[in-house]
Amino acid sequence: MDGNGRWAQRRSLPRTAGHQAAETAVIDIIEAARAAGVEWLSLYAFSTENWNRPGPEVEFLMRLVRRVVRKHAPLLLARGIRCRFLGVTDPRVPHALARDFDDLTTLTADNRGMTLTVAFDHGGRRDIVEAARSLILSGTPADEVTERLFADHLPYPDTPDVDLVIRTSGEQRISNFMLWQVAYAEWVFPEALWPDFRASDFLACLHTYRCRDRRFGGVPPRTNGDRS
Amino acid sequence: MTTATTGMTDETPLFGPESQFSAFFDDPRWALAMIRATVLEAAHPQIGAALVDNSTFVAHPWRRLRNTFLSMRRMFGADSSVREREAARLNRLHARMSGSDSRGRAYDAMDRATRAWVVATLFESAVTMCRLSGQPLGQDIMERMYAEYRAFLAALDGDAAELPEDLNDFWQYFDRVVENELENTEAARVILYRLFDHLPAPALLDGAPALWAAGRAVAGPLLGAITVASLPEPYRRRAGLPEMPGASTLMQGAYLAAGLARFLPAGWINAESIIETLSLSPDSDDPRARTVAALRSRMKRAAALLRLLTPPSGDPEPDRSSPTGTDEGRRSAEDFFRTVLDQTGDGHLDWPDLAAMARELSTRLDLDEPEETRLYDAFAAWWRELQAALDTDGDGRVSAQEYAAAVPSLAGPALIRVAEVLFEVTDKDGSGTIDANEYRALFRTAFHRDLTTTDGTHGRSAFVGDFLAFMSGRRTSSPYDPLLADA
Repeated sequence: MDGNGRWAQRRSLPRTAGHQAAETAVIDIIEAARAAGVEWLSLYAFSTENWNRPGPEVEFLMRLVRRVVRKHAPLLLARGIRCRFLGVTDPRVPHALARDFDDLTTLTADNRGMTLTVAFDHGGRRDIVEAARSLILSGTPADEVTERLFADHLPYPDTPDVDLVIRTSGEQRISNFMLWQVAYAEWVFPEALWPDFRASDFLACLHTYRCRDRRFGGVPPRTNGDRS
Repeated sequence: MTTATTGMTDETPLFGPESQFSAFFDDPRWALAMIRATVLEAAHPQIGAALVDNSTFVAHPWRRLRNTFLSMRRMFGADSSVREREAARLNRLHARMSGSDSRGRAYDAMDRATRAWVVATLFESAVTMCRLSGQPLGQDIMERMYAEYRAFLAALDGDAAELPEDLNDFWQYFDRVVENELENTEAARVILYRLFDHLPAPALLDGAPALWAAGRAVAGPLLGAITVASLPEPYRRRAGLPEMPGASTLMQGAYLAAGLARFLPAGWINAESIIETLSLSPDSDDPRARTVAALRSRMKRAAALLRLLTPPSGDPEPDRSSPTGTDEGRRSAEDFFRTVLDQTGDGHLDWPDLAAMARELSTRLDLDEPEETRLYDAFAAWWRELQAALDTDGDGRVSAQEYAAAVPSLAGPALIRVAEVLFEVTDKDGSGTIDANEYRALFRTAFHRDLTTTDGTHGRSAFVGDFLAFMSGRRTSSPYDPLLADA
C-alpha cells in the first residue's frame, strides 16, 4: 500500500490526508478480491521499519488504523472474511489497538470466505528469526530440519505460499515483506498510487498474473492458467 | 407426604428424598432465601467475625457455594453413615476456626448457641421464602420442617437442645436473637454491599468478562435491595439499612417470580446441575465441557463485537506492560497473590488463607483423620516459614508488597513438605504413585497430556515438582488453577 504520501503531496495536502484516503482503497480492494474468488489476501499496512517515521505521523496512523478496524468490523464479519494480524509484537503498538486487533481476530475466526492477513508491525526477517528460535526451543535435531518443518514454526503456518504480490506506486522492492512465503511469487508493479488504486486496477493485476508463465524453476507446463 | 401430615411425623424419615428440605432443594426461591439466611448468620457477631476472618466467599464465592451445596446434600441425604461422616468433617473444619473480632471479642466456630443460630436462620428463611412468595406453609408442614432442621443440628452437635423444642417457642427465640444479639457486622455489610458488586465470574463465564460485568452491574444492586427488604424489620433498624421506596414490592415480586418456577416441567431446574455447570472449567474432560467451550467461544466473539462497536474512549490507555502478566503462561506476582494466596480476599496473606487452601484440598480428597491434620500441620509449617521470610514489618501477616518483594524465597523446605504430604494423602492406596482415579479426586479431571506420566500414573517427584512450579514458579494453566485460583 505505497504512495499515500506522494498522493497527498501532489494535492498539496499533509501526508496524513493520504493515509486517510487509503481507507477507501483498502475496503474497495478487499471487496474486489473477495468477489474475484481470491482466498488469501494480505495487506502490508505497517513495517517494522515504519517506526522510523516522524512521531506524529506514526501516532496518526495508529489512531487511523484503530478507527478503520472498528468501523469496518461488522462489515468484515458479515462478508465472511477471516481477519488476522501478522506482527503486532512491538510494545509501541498502543494497547487499545492491539486489543481491537485481537477482538477482530476472535470475532471473525470462524469465517471461511476469505482470509485477510493484515501485516502490521511486520518484518519478514523477524518472522524467520522467530521461527528459528521456536525451532531451537522445541529441541529439533539439526538433521531433521526441513523447509516444511521450518515453515511450521512461522507465524500462521497455515498461510500458503504467496502467488502474487502487487506493489503500488511503481516501487520495485521487497521491503522485508513475508520473505519466506514470497519465494516463488509473481510480482506486479502498477504505477497507480495506493489511494487511487481501485477494483479495476486490482482486476488488471489479476489478469496480468493469469497471463504469466509460472514454471517454479521447472519446464513450462503444457497449458497455462491451470493453477488458481 | 399428605399421609404423613395427619399421623405421626415419625412415619417418614426426617432425612432423605421424602423430607421437606429436599422439596425445596431445586426451588429457585431457595437461592434468594439462602442469601437472606447468610446475611442473618453474618449479622451474628460471632459468626460475622469468623466469616470475615476465615471464609473464602469474597474471593472464591462459587467454589464456596459448591462446597456448601454438596455438604448440605450429604447432611440431608438418606444415608446416615454419610451424614455422620460429613458432620464429623464439618466439626473438624469448624474446630479449627477461632479467634477474636475487631473489637477483641473472642469467637469460636464450635460455640453451640451460635451453631443453633445458623440452623435457625436456614429454617426461618425457608418459612419466610414461602410466605413472601405468596404460598405460605401449613402449620403441620412447618412443624415437620422444624423437626428436620432440629435433627440436622442434632446430627452436627449431638443434640438440638439449643433450639426450642416447640415451634411456638422458636419464634420467640428467633425474635429475641434478632432484636438483642444481631449487629451491623462487617460480614453482613460485605455480603449486602460488596459481594454482589464485585462477584467474580464463575469458571463457566470466565471468558466473557465484559458480559459478566454488565450483568453484574444490574443484578448486584438488585440482589442487595431485594435481600435488605426481606430482612426482619428490627434488624434493618438496628443495622441502619436503607428503606427504599418500592424495595419491598421489588422483593416480593422477585420471590413471587421465583415461586412461579413451580409451573415449569419437573426437572427443568436442578440446583445440582446448575452449580456443576457453573463450576465447569473448559479444560476438564467432562463431555459437557465441549459444549461449554463452544458456547464460550460464541460469548467471546459477542464480547469482542461489543467492544468493537462501543465508541472508543478518549482516555489514554495504560502501558501494555502493566496489565499483561500472561506471557509464556506466567502470571504476575500481584495476580498470583490475589487469585491464589489471598483466599479470603482481604488483601493480606494470613493463616486463614493457607487454612482455606488446606480446607479446599482436604474437602476435595475427602480426607479423614489423621491425614487431614497432617495436611493442616504441613500448611501451618509453611505459614511459619512464610511469616518468618516475608513479614518484614512484623504485623503478623504478609501484604501484597511484602510478597512481591521476596518472591524467590517462597519455595522453602516447608513448601516442599506440603507438596510431599499432599502427595501422600492423595495417594490413597499408598502405591507410591498417583493413578488416574486418585488424580481425578484431586483435580476432577483426567491426566493432561503434557504431564510427565509414566504408564498412566503420576510419580512423586513429578507431582511435587508440579506443585512447586505452581506455588512458586507462578505458572498458569496448570491443573491447580481450577483448584485454588478459580472463583
